Amino acid sequence: MSNLNIEAKKRRSYDAIVIGSGMSGGWAAKELTGAGLRTLVLERGREVKHVEDYPTAMQQPWELPHRGQTPTALTKDNPVVSKCYAYGEATSQFFVKDAEHPYVQEKPFDWIRGYQTGGKSLLWARQTQRWSEFDFEGPARDGFAVDWPIRYSDLAPWYSYVERFAGISGNLDGLPQLPDGEFLPPHQLNCVEQHFSDAMKKAYAGARPMIIGRCAHITQPQPIHLEQGRSKCANRTLCERGCPLGGYFSANASTLPWAAKTGKMTLRPHSVVHSIIYDEQKQKAVGVRIIDANTKQMEEFYAKIIFLNASALNSNLVLLNSTSNRFPNGLGNDNGLLGKFIAFHNYRAGINAEYEGFLDKTTAGNRPNSGYIPRFRNVFKQETDFLRGYASGFGAYRGKYEDQSGWGADLKANLLNSKHNPVWNVGSHMMGETIPKESNYVALDKNQRDPWGIPQLRISVDYDQNDVAMTKDFFEQLTEMYEKAGFRNIRTYDSNRTPGLDIHEMGGARMGKDPKTSLLNGWNQLHHCKNVFVTDGACMTSTATQNPSLTYMALTARAADYAIKELKKRNL
Amino acid sequence: MERREALNRVALLLGGAFSGPTLLALERWEGKMPLQEADFSLSSLEQALLAELSEMIIPRTDTPGAKDAGVPAFIEMMLKDCYYPREQAVFTRGLQNLTKQGFLQKSAEQKKEILLQLQQDNKPLMKAYSEEMASRGNPIFVPDRPVLPFWRLLKELTLLGYFTSEQGIKASFEYHPTPGKFQATKLKPGQKFIVY
Repeated sequence: MSNLNIEAKKRRSYDAIVIGSGMSGGWAAKELTGAGLRTLVLERGREVKHVEDYPTAMQQPWELPHRGQTPTALTKDNPVVSKCYAYGEATSQFFVKDAEHPYVQEKPFDWIRGYQTGGKSLLWARQTQRWSEFDFEGPARDGFAVDWPIRYSDLAPWYSYVERFAGISGNLDGLPQLPDGEFLPPHQLNCVEQHFSDAMKKAYAGARPMIIGRCAHITQPQPIHLEQGRSKCANRTLCERGCPLGGYFSANASTLPWAAKTGKMTLRPHSVVHSIIYDEQKQKAVGVRIIDANTKQMEEFYAKIIFLNASALNSNLVLLNSTSNRFPNGLGNDNGLLGKFIAFHNYRAGINAEYEGFLDKTTAGNRPNSGYIPRFRNVFKQETDFLRGYASGFGAYRGKYEDQSGWGADLKANLLNSKHNPVWNVGSHMMGETIPKESNYVALDKNQRDPWGIPQLRISVDYDQNDVAMTKDFFEQLTEMYEKAGFRNIRTYDSNRTPGLDIHEMGGARMGKDPKTSLLNGWNQLHHCKNVFVTDGACMTSTATQNPSLTYMALTARAADYAIKELKKRNL
Repeated sequence: MERREALNRVALLLGGAFSGPTLLALERWEGKMPLQEADFSLSSLEQALLAELSEMIIPRTDTPGAKDAGVPAFIEMMLKDCYYPREQAVFTRGLQNLTKQGFLQKSAEQKKEILLQLQQDNKPLMKAYSEEMASRGNPIFVPDRPVLPFWRLLKELTLLGYFTSEQGIKASFEYHPTPGKFQATKLKPGQKFIVY
């Protein structure tokens, strides 16, 4: 009998388990299998295979029943995810159904989730800027959160490593506040965007550059991309349907098939992770408990190391729910800070205007990218009454109009006789850093459980006065910049949107030097349970202003490399 | 490019013909509207009337018309699936008013007269609609936003249906679903518009 048990346990044992198959989990899977480790990848949702499970990717406008508009029934049933800009008739299959995955909003929080292999890497905005030295030094310099245990120099080689594989397009701008990377050819700025860039150079002596965004699109395939079966981005800008060309980076197109090719990966969809199993005698984690989403049965799997990549807030949930005699308040949570110091990006503000130049020009084609204004506030020193700052997008386009009065053949002819607007439209949106605070937290709800019997996550996250002051400054500074570029009819707007809709929630299991004030060390290991690595958004000590996915990828590859070396040294 | 921006471009391409509610349906922006179960349908008489109206707005010429492009059925389906009961009610009332006037039995000249009147009546309604929009800041994001008048709703749904149909797109534009590029370009006089 005991022999049978040993056999059964052996069948359920791997070298490594990766919880989550999205942006960072895909990287963990690729790196660990690449080192020869037999790796189990647990995904709570269904499997979405590259190309074959993108049902709308090649559909023409008229093939979508509502021509891309979303039926009210979908909106009504999904009041949270349907707020996401990427949600629609052609993409709703990659978002959760709100009712199936309940959570508790102690304060309003739009939790946008995509439960399938690849996770939200199918849906992301694909902007990929590196953090700079000034971002990693931020908390220590400005006295908030805790000091990051790593610096830019620790991550720089790993940024390069993931950029080469993922395929990042960008221009070598030579900016200390936004370091250059391993870039494929950049997208072009259009004439009005270039005008704005030049005007800023002149007005601010280089202190407020506007550059073309860096983004995860293959503008010129390299052998490593062709080897992944990916090809050049065709600028369809239908990215969120899944790209049949693999033109942008997703786990589905890139890391997961790469890991599968090693023969070392076992991908198990429909596996809702309940908790990580801690062995009191061995004083380390030994495996993972899951609930099979179809059978609702609990099952266990075992491994020497565990990578937790369930998405920022879900990784918090898994740790909080991983209780034992040693860790009654959640795995590694001796200091009681697990789930606290959640932060996000402030995307609530925008500005738009008109420009009356370049009226003999327009653009041809599409571009899955836009201009980018790196953070210029408080970068090199503190200069305002609020902490940190904001990056901004920038885009210009030329609209059209027609005489649309009346009806009949005249109207039909008029509609096809478009004129270009007598102006260009320009616009920017704010991407503000928020300060992690203990009062912004997630916790397990004491009463309510999800359909798998796991406590629901209770979310309590809100803006603060620093965000309000920063939003005001965005309006003032961008207005000034727009005026200096000669833009007219400048309008600002504050959408007051709820935190969460930025889909950049971070923290809760932050990295730090001191186990008393942080959960993870400089290698993303739990201070108190060294064979568990958390390398998704949960690990973030502060948020900076950059879109975070590239940093998660680099942190994951770095932590995986360390884990592999430590395993070989028998330290884990 | 943000989806919102893309949609605005589509709106501009169609002559800025989309109103707040249609853009809202396009974007499902807030999801805060109190919803009732939609039980919307048109009688066969109303369907015939709608077909006549949409074909009058976009008639068959040397290119297909609204009926060729399946616009009448599209409008009914859109109203049922993507609009709210208040908007459906305004639309049905608009059709009923025309039925009362015996629209389908009128001569071509009389039909034209009625539509001219409708267009005339629409002006103050649109003005009130626009003023209410302006006075309330950004009301497409709140549950009790102003309701569009019938003529406007009819017209923009006709244009949307036509210019997103295969017949409408291919007859009207150079259609490049895979542009492959983004570049500055000099405008040529009378250049046909390209859609992506």
